[in-house]
Amino acid sequence: MPINAAKIESILQNFVSGTADIQGATLVSPDGLSLATVLPSTMDDEKVSAMSAAMLSLGERIGSELSRGSIDRIYVEGDQGYGVLTNCGEDAVLLVLANQAAKQGLLMLEIKRLTEELKLVLM
Amino acid sequence: MLREKLGDFSSIVCFKAAITGMEEALGEKATAIALTAAGRSRGKNLVKDLGLSGTSLDWDVIADKMAFALGENGTKLLIIESIVEADDVIKVSTSETLSSAGEPQGSSRKCTYTLGAVWGALEEITGKRLKGAHTESVVRGGNNDVFEFESLI
Repeated sequence: MPINAAKIESILQNFVSGTADIQGATLVSPDGLSLATVLPSTMDDEKVSAMSAAMLSLGERIGSELSRGSIDRIYVEGDQGYGVLTNCGEDAVLLVLANQAAKQGLLMLEIKRLTEELKLVLM
Repeated sequence: MLREKLGDFSSIVCFKAAITGMEEALGEKATAIALTAAGRSRGKNLVKDLGLSGTSLDWDVIADKMAFALGENGTKLLIIESIVEADDVIKVSTSETLSSAGEPQGSSRKCTYTLGAVWGALEEITGKRLKGAHTESVVRGGNNDVFEFESLI
């Protein structure tokens, strides 16, 4: 069944515009192709997609080589904000960008909800 | 020439050693993603340089131009034998790809950078986002390395 890109993009758009301190979100395939994206215009979604998939894959490698088990999430914290990569089923990886004012607990909860919603569309 | 004595070309052995080194450090999947992305970028830039962005030329003419740029008289990345489009699938037959060079029969190695280069070129030519796959391999019984592309979404 083809992926409903318009539906996914709509979900991401609602998430980004309706959640405080979220700056962007993108859903990419495990081999690094963009499926739907709502990112700041300064970011190249092809580069972001390849980076996201490579990073999650690298995380999985770390999990395996360093006996950390299966990887659900990779979390990048910088002085200007957060980047959170989350496994979104077998067919997709979700990247969410948030500014430094975001509350981490709330951010994780919102990402969890978003992931569940996206998984339903991807099924 | 980019180098006075050694010229513009380096050994495939060194390139493949770089790939296997990356695979050991980063894992096969992350390496493949990075190399495919690098290839796509290269392919897009190549098509821009050739002035073929968004062209409506026939696939056989495009194949000739790409073969010239990437093949025996060009950068020697691979030989493009043909490009055929049927049922919304673009099928590119290639030979002597950099990725398959020196691989033993039965090897599981797939084209990454070379697949990406063709992929990026076709995306720039068609103006569409494509999904690509390496569907036949000379190291797994095929006569050619074959790449197939269809619209991503």
